[in-house]
Amino acid sequence: MKIRAVALNTFKEAIRDRILYLLLFFTVVSLILSKLLSLLTVGDKTKIIMDAGLSSISIFGVLMAILMGTGLVYKEIDKKTVYTLLSKPINRNQFILGKFLGLIITLFIMMAVMTAIFIIIILLHSGTISWKLFVSLGFVFLELCLITSVALLFSCFSTPILSSIFSLSFYLIGHLSWGLEALLKKMNPGVSKVLTQVVYILLPDLENFNFKTEVVHNLSIQPEMFLFSFFYGIAYTFFILMLAMLVFRKRDFI
Amino acid sequence: MQKKVLALLLIISCGMFMGLKVITDKIPRKTVPGASIIYIPSGKYLKYASFGHSSLLADLIYIWAIQYFSNYSVPERFQYLTHVFSIISELDPGYLDPYQIGALIAIYDARDFDTAMDILEIGLKKNPEQWIFPWQAGHYAQILLKDFELARKYYQTAMEIEGSPPIIKRLYSNAVYQLGDYHTAWENWLEIYNSSDDERVKKIASNHLYRTKAAMDIQKIKDALKEYQSKFNRFPEKLADLVSSGFLESVPQDLDGQDYIYDSDTGEVKTAVIPWKR
Amino acid sequence: MPEAKALEIKDLHKSFKFGFLGKKIKVLKGISLEVKKGEIFGYLGPNGAGKTTTLKCILGLLFPDKGTINILGSDHLSIKSKEKTGFLPENPYFYDYLTASEFLNFYSQLFHKQKTEDINTLLTLVGLIEHSHTQLRKFSKGMLQRIGLSQALLNDPEIVLLDEPLGGLDPIGRKEIRDIILSLKEKGKTVFLSSHILQDIEMICDRVAVLVNGAVVNQGRLDELVSQEILFTEITVSKISRKELEKFGKPLTHFGNKSLIQIFDQDKVDEILQFVKEKNGKVHSLVPRTQTLEDIFVGIVKQK
Repeated sequence: MKIRAVALNTFKEAIRDRILYLLLFFTVVSLILSKLLSLLTVGDKTKIIMDAGLSSISIFGVLMAILMGTGLVYKEIDKKTVYTLLSKPINRNQFILGKFLGLIITLFIMMAVMTAIFIIIILLHSGTISWKLFVSLGFVFLELCLITSVALLFSCFSTPILSSIFSLSFYLIGHLSWGLEALLKKMNPGVSKVLTQVVYILLPDLENFNFKTEVVHNLSIQPEMFLFSFFYGIAYTFFILMLAMLVFRKRDFI
Repeated sequence: MQKKVLALLLIISCGMFMGLKVITDKIPRKTVPGASIIYIPSGKYLKYASFGHSSLLADLIYIWAIQYFSNYSVPERFQYLTHVFSIISELDPGYLDPYQIGALIAIYDARDFDTAMDILEIGLKKNPEQWIFPWQAGHYAQILLKDFELARKYYQTAMEIEGSPPIIKRLYSNAVYQLGDYHTAWENWLEIYNSSDDERVKKIASNHLYRTKAAMDIQKIKDALKEYQSKFNRFPEKLADLVSSGFLESVPQDLDGQDYIYDSDTGEVKTAVIPWKR
Repeated sequence: MPEAKALEIKDLHKSFKFGFLGKKIKVLKGISLEVKKGEIFGYLGPNGAGKTTTLKCILGLLFPDKGTINILGSDHLSIKSKEKTGFLPENPYFYDYLTASEFLNFYSQLFHKQKTEDINTLLTLVGLIEHSHTQLRKFSKGMLQRIGLSQALLNDPEIVLLDEPLGGLDPIGRKEIRDIILSLKEKGKTVFLSSHILQDIEMICDRVAVLVNGAVVNQGRLDELVSQEILFTEITVSKISRKELEKFGKPLTHFGNKSLIQIFDQDKVDEILQFVKEKNGKVHSLVPRTQTLEDIFVGIVKQK
């Protein structure tokens, strides 16, 4: 399959990128740091290790997604490797999908490594793991997929620096969505409220994928939340990929 | 530049900055690094700024707070105690340790009872199923302030939370007794006695019931004595006189069926035994 | 005969917008040309004329404003035509972390039919078989050009499009590539190559089109465009003085006792040969110069 060929090729390129290993190193450092910090806290010592672990994997995963995703298409265009590729009987859409899948596979492997190290540290510390941890990390991965698609989209028409800024903004806006929700509650009904509501639903809500608090405090989560959040992530990623394909379709390679 | 000269300069500058670090560490400072946290107006804003990592931020601020409040070089640090712990609460309301430790710091280091209560109140408000907060509050009220009204209030709140340990009810009943509401105390202690299977608890309950009954009885007797005295200008010979003169229906006996000890000179009535030594 | 056309371009227009205000610059101003099956077609033009733009339009990397392009009877964007096309871009860059065989392997997976040329055969054809496990980042420019040519031939295409295939190569490299191109013709393939190096075009192309400033100014067989009559003859002689040479033609340079003279009149050529023999001089070289593509080219460009 053509998509698979592009995906594997992208994976080969991505897995050799040194940035990944630098970020992996930072994740491990922060996990070790959290173990040290746990000595300073009074009371529950596992909490900070859990919090730091989940947050590090999440943050560094997002950085990986953005740093690699913004170069994905841009590099091909800049180095003109895209010329030989697109002169072959391959659809431009297949190209985009292949690039996306290649990076997703890379990120999955990176996350698996980080998760394994994290679990070892937790087991050494307290010896118990909840299944909720894996679900939470699964949703972190889903969030990474979404961020990757956004980085890919920007990579189709913008330089890596600008793309990184835009993608990072997307991530930040995604976590501030409930600020908008609070604003909406205080607004008077009217045209501006309706407009704000439309904007609110359109903008990404990445908190839907954030189950850190529930994992750390071992709270219950409604199963519907998992299901609908999952599909929300899939749908939004799909939407962004379609946008990327649209942007890339009639693009002239000067 | 020659390589050796460069290496030498490198080592010298390294030694310099290391030495300077040691020196600057020793200089006392008005504030502790990171103390700008106290200027954050509200935990709500911080929660927005943490982009989904508020739990981690709560942990870090908590660790910082522990160090900050144990730093003796900043004498006015306690004015921010409630503020800092309310920030931690906003970031991660379910994080229980800070409420207790914050109250602890308030009580023992700052000697500020009201602050401790404030912090525990916040803890209870955010976590209404945590009986430990009102229990601690009641405990501090009783032990430190001897304020049994406040203690009673808190014990009652704690008692009504599902899953609270039975001892809270006992503390409550004791507080009620101390406030002089013997009736309620009696009812509670009876309930405790009847509902427990533990021999030790039954014994405790029975002692309290004894004491409560004694208090009620002695009150009744003393009221009758007062009336007698105002009529006859003296105390009766024996308690049975109160019955014959119509001031008492009958002479009450203690829970074990023993008589109370009456001193006709002073008008004092007391129990034959100490409740705890039955 | 519609079948005999390997490539047909009709009235191709392409312009670009530059800058924020969208200033439009027209690069291709109505190109039409035909390439017959089995021939080597040269696409000539100075730098900036629009050769690469034309090629990119053919391959679907740029979208024309107007005009049609057909490859072997199908629309140029169709999968069918892409299956039969091979392309080598100018100054190619490739995935430098791949080895030569990994590189060819990757591209071969993009073709519909499983049957692609055996990778080793291709590597042998371009002379890179010893480097099949070397990473592309270690390849020299000439080697990159050759691996590029091999990927263009992966699908055994019927038409091969080459953009400046001989650019930046040393004389040996150029000869090798030229030989490969000629061998492609022998196999019955069509070759469309663009270049601004006229000697190469002269040596191998059957038909050419000349592109100047976005328009095709001349198109046809080489020998039709270039007349065969002799323009002048250049002779190198020795032991003849300058003054005497001036009788026959135009002396150009002198080195040592040798002189180079340019003679326009063909009769004078026989005369000077006779003269040199009488004077016991020597004739070192005699080169008749016909009109070259360069002359035409320069003439056309000067006109514009």
